[in-house]
Amino acid sequence: MSSASATLDSGRPPAAAPKTRKVRRRRQWWPLGYMAPVLVMLALVFGYSFFEVVHYSFYAGSIGSLVWVGTANYRELATDPQFIHSMFNNFKLLLTVPVVTVLALAIALMINTSFRGVRHYRAILFLPYILPATAMGLSFSYLLQGNGVLDALLTRLHLGFLIHDWLGSPSWVMFSIGGVIVWQQLGFGVVVFSAALLAVPAETVEAARIDGANWWVVQRRILIPQIRRIIEFFVILQAIIVLSSVFTYVYVLTGGGPAYSSSVMEFYIYQNGFENGSIGIASAGAVVLLLIASVFIALYLWVRIRAAKDQH
Amino acid sequence: MKSRYSSMRASWSRNRIVTKAISVFCVAAMGLAVAVVPAATQASASGKTNINYWFWGESDIPGMTKWMQQRIAMYEKLNPSVSITLVPQSNTTIISSFQLASQSKTGPDVDTQWATLPTLLPALQGDVTPISNYVSKSEMSHWLNTNENTIGSNVYAMPLYLIGVPLVWNKKLFAKAGLNPNVGPTTWTQFLADCAALKKHGITPMGMGNQDGYFGAWMFAIYEKQILNSISQLTQGVANVGSSQAQLLSSLKTMYTMFANLISSGYVNSNVESLSLNQGWQLFPQGKAAMSITTDGNVLSWAKSVGEANVGVTRPPIWGTGKLASTYDTTQSSDEFLASWSSNKAAAAKFLVFLHSTANMVALNKETGAFPADNRFPTSYITDPLAKALDKLDTSGTSIWLENDIPPQIDSNADLPAGQLITSGSGTPAAAVALWKQQLQKWQLQQPTQYSLFKKWATGA
Repeated sequence: MSSASATLDSGRPPAAAPKTRKVRRRRQWWPLGYMAPVLVMLALVFGYSFFEVVHYSFYAGSIGSLVWVGTANYRELATDPQFIHSMFNNFKLLLTVPVVTVLALAIALMINTSFRGVRHYRAILFLPYILPATAMGLSFSYLLQGNGVLDALLTRLHLGFLIHDWLGSPSWVMFSIGGVIVWQQLGFGVVVFSAALLAVPAETVEAARIDGANWWVVQRRILIPQIRRIIEFFVILQAIIVLSSVFTYVYVLTGGGPAYSSSVMEFYIYQNGFENGSIGIASAGAVVLLLIASVFIALYLWVRIRAAKDQH
Repeated sequence: MKSRYSSMRASWSRNRIVTKAISVFCVAAMGLAVAVVPAATQASASGKTNINYWFWGESDIPGMTKWMQQRIAMYEKLNPSVSITLVPQSNTTIISSFQLASQSKTGPDVDTQWATLPTLLPALQGDVTPISNYVSKSEMSHWLNTNENTIGSNVYAMPLYLIGVPLVWNKKLFAKAGLNPNVGPTTWTQFLADCAALKKHGITPMGMGNQDGYFGAWMFAIYEKQILNSISQLTQGVANVGSSQAQLLSSLKTMYTMFANLISSGYVNSNVESLSLNQGWQLFPQGKAAMSITTDGNVLSWAKSVGEANVGVTRPPIWGTGKLASTYDTTQSSDEFLASWSSNKAAAAKFLVFLHSTANMVALNKETGAFPADNRFPTSYITDPLAKALDKLDTSGTSIWLENDIPPQIDSNADLPAGQLITSGSGTPAAAVALWKQQLQKWQLQQPTQYSLFKKWATGA
């Protein structure tokens, strides 16, 4: 009789088995042990903050004089024209995502061939991305203000009919902010796509060329499908940025004005939480923003998991 | 199997080393902390009184911070046992930083705040100690405009300077438009006639900026006041006492209608909405606008570029018919007060009184051109005719700056954007009033404690 069958018969594991299982179980917990300090830090920094934000969203007043109001802040958000307008402005800015993606991809494909000074071109294209927001905001406010540099240029070019108060007109202000976002994010897109294109095996392109594929077919049928996962990743990342990281553009360029016309959710949260000291409504706004951003974060994770599976 | 076991042992011993290293680091850090804390305590136990001063004023009066630094150096020399740390504040954080400090009851011993409600609301919440508890009545009797920060018999803050808001005109451009260069408009009808004449000659009548909302806020401060018979009409309307809010909103609509007409007539620079107030003002010294409503300091500064002979000043033209229409628009703008949690209130108050010595007030005027908020300041020091004219406007008769009498949240969320609706042409006067109404309700809901304190103050309860 084998030892295994003896074990089954007696209902007891063999003498060596508990030790092995113990060690195995202990080994399963080790990684968690190593990660524990970081997990504790994350729980403190993000978990605690998250809990507090949700907790405060049920109160009115400032810290020190909080009053429980239940879900009143959420109901207030649903009827507050400034919040609704801010949310729609965030959605309007989502339109910059396809623009940035298409432009960045087109430029990346164009500079994908090695020619003299290609690195310099890439550096120049990336430059706006690393510019400080304050410098960028000041420059664009001079450029876009009514009778500013852009309007003066349009006048000289006899295009006076195009003159607008780009930052002062509620009809144009979101286009102006969107334009600045496209200008700054473009360089990042070009760098991401260029890096992905460089990773495409040269043999694949070579084989297509031997089969008679022209430049356009190589781009459309070979290169773009090869970097599809990176494009998906970039689109979702940009959508998250446009939803939850455009405060700087708005704050520096327009301060949310004129009359809230360029306010976004982050600006609304900042104004209520930090300028007015109304921590409750600001927290409720933050929770709503988190929920909307979560949809895109989930999409982002799904794309990454899918990309990882593809690689395997 | 053996090799795996030994590698496990090796990793265990590595872990022990890492654990030991972390433990040593933690113990060392704790030791360092223990060593540093008594050192910090010793600094305050050395007998020196440390006064932490959160200061603001440079935006109002260029050169103010330098003047204050010099006064502190002088005071510390005269009082070696006192050390004063000056922490300059910015326009955007002046209110919120004190709000945060008051939550933890730490931070400044002395704070600068804008006058009236930005000072009185924290005072009503118990975060400000009346300066009148530490300064004699005879001393305070020399301070000007203390009424802006007084509740009952308590004076909560000390003024440093006065800022008047006159209408300034360019005499050269007036003459070019066929107007009498030596006579500025004093009534609204005259003002509109002057604007029409200037526009006809291709001259921009008014140079202002409202990207930050302050031109609109100034129109509210100057012209909403001119409809009112008393400040309580405004404060009770904000507090929603009886039918007062409906009356306030109705008067606001009248004021915004006048403002919208001014804009639609083309009497203000066309890019008013994309320039900040400061940027809009620059059109005047550049000779691109014939008039502006500005501060005393700007008038004196612009006179240097336009030529003093070409600059005229008068009070903003009278438009309204309320009892307050004849009052002028001077304010102390900002004030200095004692934080309730400070353990050095007496020493801090002594320093603030030192700032009001005649020598320091003379130095303030000499170095910055500002008019000191103290009647001991010898006006004989003002020799420049333009400065004399401004000082006369500032000190004769009653003055009210209405923006000081609305809660800061209403100012930034209703007053400023409502004016932007008008200057950008994106909203009607009715829309501006609807925004006020919505923001008043929101404030009442979001700041219940502040609202009830404000209501008590507004009703004199």
